[in-house]
Amino acid sequence: QHGRVKIKTTAQQEEEKRKEREKKLKIYVAARDACFSKRNEGIWDDEALQLTQQLLSSNPDFATLWNYRREILMHLETVKDKDEVQKIYEAELSFTESCLKVNPKSYGSWHHRGWVSARLPRPDWARELTLCDRCLSLDDRNFHCWDYRRMVVKMSGVPVDQELAFTDRLIGSNFSNYSSWHYRSTLLPLLHPESPDPPPHLLLKPIPIGSLVQNAFFTDPNDQSAWFYYRWLLGRAEREEMISCVYVNRDEERVAVAFSRPVNSVGLFLVLDGQPQRVEWRSVHPRFKQSPVWICNLPPGTISDITNERNLTVHWTEKHTHRDCALYTGRTESWCRDSATDQELFRSELSVEKTSVLQSELQSVKQLQELEPLNKWCLLTIILLMRALDPLGYEQEMLAHFRTLKEVDSMRSAYYSDLCSKFMIENTILKMEYAEVRVFSISDKNLTTLCHLDQLLLVTHINLSSNHLQRLPPQFAMLQCLEVLEADNNAIENLEGVYHLPKLEEVLLKNNSILKLVVYLQTLASCPKLKRLDLRGNPVTQTANVESELAELLPSVTDLLL
Amino acid sequence: MLTGTQVKDVIIKPDAPSTLLLEKHADYIAAYGSKKDDYEYTLSEYLRMSGIYWGLTVMDLMGELPRMNQQEIVDFIKACQHECGGISASIGHDPHLLYTLSAVQILCLYDSVDAIDVDKVVDPFHTLFGVAGLSLLGDEQIKPVNPVLCMPEDVLQRIGLQPDLLS
Repeated sequence: QHGRVKIKTTAQQEEEKRKEREKKLKIYVAARDACFSKRNEGIWDDEALQLTQQLLSSNPDFATLWNYRREILMHLETVKDKDEVQKIYEAELSFTESCLKVNPKSYGSWHHRGWVSARLPRPDWARELTLCDRCLSLDDRNFHCWDYRRMVVKMSGVPVDQELAFTDRLIGSNFSNYSSWHYRSTLLPLLHPESPDPPPHLLLKPIPIGSLVQNAFFTDPNDQSAWFYYRWLLGRAEREEMISCVYVNRDEERVAVAFSRPVNSVGLFLVLDGQPQRVEWRSVHPRFKQSPVWICNLPPGTISDITNERNLTVHWTEKHTHRDCALYTGRTESWCRDSATDQELFRSELSVEKTSVLQSELQSVKQLQELEPLNKWCLLTIILLMRALDPLGYEQEMLAHFRTLKEVDSMRSAYYSDLCSKFMIENTILKMEYAEVRVFSISDKNLTTLCHLDQLLLVTHINLSSNHLQRLPPQFAMLQCLEVLEADNNAIENLEGVYHLPKLEEVLLKNNSILKLVVYLQTLASCPKLKRLDLRGNPVTQTANVESELAELLPSVTDLLL
Repeated sequence: MLTGTQVKDVIIKPDAPSTLLLEKHADYIAAYGSKKDDYEYTLSEYLRMSGIYWGLTVMDLMGELPRMNQQEIVDFIKACQHECGGISASIGHDPHLLYTLSAVQILCLYDSVDAIDVDKVVDPFHTLFGVAGLSLLGDEQIKPVNPVLCMPEDVLQRIGLQPDLLS
């Protein structure tokens, strides 16, 4: 009938769509193949520019086509005069701009624009900065644009304080600007390139370090970016890489070396009384090709005579550094170590000014915390400030704040438990060093994880009882001097780290979760001096024949408690 | 009103699915390579090598790597190595560090690094990717890198992340 609109069925619509897609694909493939074949023939003409433009408009990530386009443009540079080149490249700039409108995050488009800007006979850097401003106003976290801005700033010599003022404006109008804070953090050190660590900005007394950032988190305490920036302001420079400890023992004729970070053994050399020694270094556990602790054995008889004084040097050629250790007459063992405080392991040395700056920051954040008792960032920042000021002095307050933090942000309570464990271990290391003993005792402290085990190389007794530990990881094998391991009342199921500990005599693991003992028998058997093993209250004791199996596989264990 | 970069916690509803539909994921990826008539698939040709790598690692983690056509993929990689030693995302495309790395990672998964000209690939790109690539190709001076997570092994050790691969 006339005048009636024919309604298509869904099947027909589907078929139409499919035909359209097929057509689209055909056109695309034809254009792509034409481009590739022209390029293979070395043709650099207008048609090639047209084809690549057509394809790149809808697919600006097709990097090969940008490459081809640049080849054509470079060729044109050789055959056209300066004014023509200027025009061509200006057209190129508008082309990239239209590509960026389609996809403001295309690597290809930004890179091409940068390439063009650098080759333009008469570049207009002010216009480029304006483009960046516009782009950032649409999306202030577009890192492509930030990178491009940094390039423009560098090429056109925009002064650092002008860019700093730019970040002031951006942050002032919208505190939630992670990228601006980050950019700011790269600019501040440029103002004072000659300052050594700690970060120079903390030493700038005339500029109140907190003002902009304090404003930000006082105005909107839930915005992450200002807090992360603030944490960076409180941060420390990276520690010097060094040999932190050398330990020698005549009984096993063994040398153990601890480093400030995991290393491989390339470039490690041992010299004894001026004579280089041929030794084989091994890491504490076969899993580790990189390790903070390396061990070697000297040929039998080399240092066993206790009436001789010996002088040992460990050379780390990678960092052009070495460490000496004297092994005195009458002494079975010797070591040379920088304390955690010397190494500024857990906090930086603070000057008087810095201490007072941090203390006033602590006051400010505490004020905010009273106004916003449920805000996790405040609590976490208070903890970090206290760690920076006086980790031992603030220990109780820190524990209280962690308890609150876990209530206020329960979704991340496991993270806070681990973080608190780390800080408690740091404090225990500090206390152990002040007491000048080799006993590490951290029981009943809600420990969920172990860390800094590389700092425990010299420890002879460790008490980890009544915590929430689930494993003694391979890193535990760094406790090369360990004689007694007390870890009752935990949830330990994994003993991987109790591996080749040459002096270990007692392992106390009452009330844990050890089930698959067979898996760990090898590791326990690798400890030659093991005499006492307490496995009472573990599920493994319910296994049939466990006593006879253990007696057979661990014959040196005379005191077995099941 | 300032919106702020808030922490956005999501509450998972009690009736949300609690099983990972591994078989369906494996089926999807296994079928993905045969979508040659698809417009979006063709448009993404510029990253094909990386796409293959992403698909293969997932299949490997699920223990389904044998479902992929190893020979076809290795042949494809061979066809993508250029005179300079670099490898492109697909046949006819220009070589690039990203796709060279993806190709090396794929060949490590298949223990077939020798399928390409290794000496030529060792290229002076001093970026993290280039250095990771060199490590996978056996360079002694560079720390070992895990090919699946593409991070140095010592970092993985320090943070306690050492995945037990199913295959």
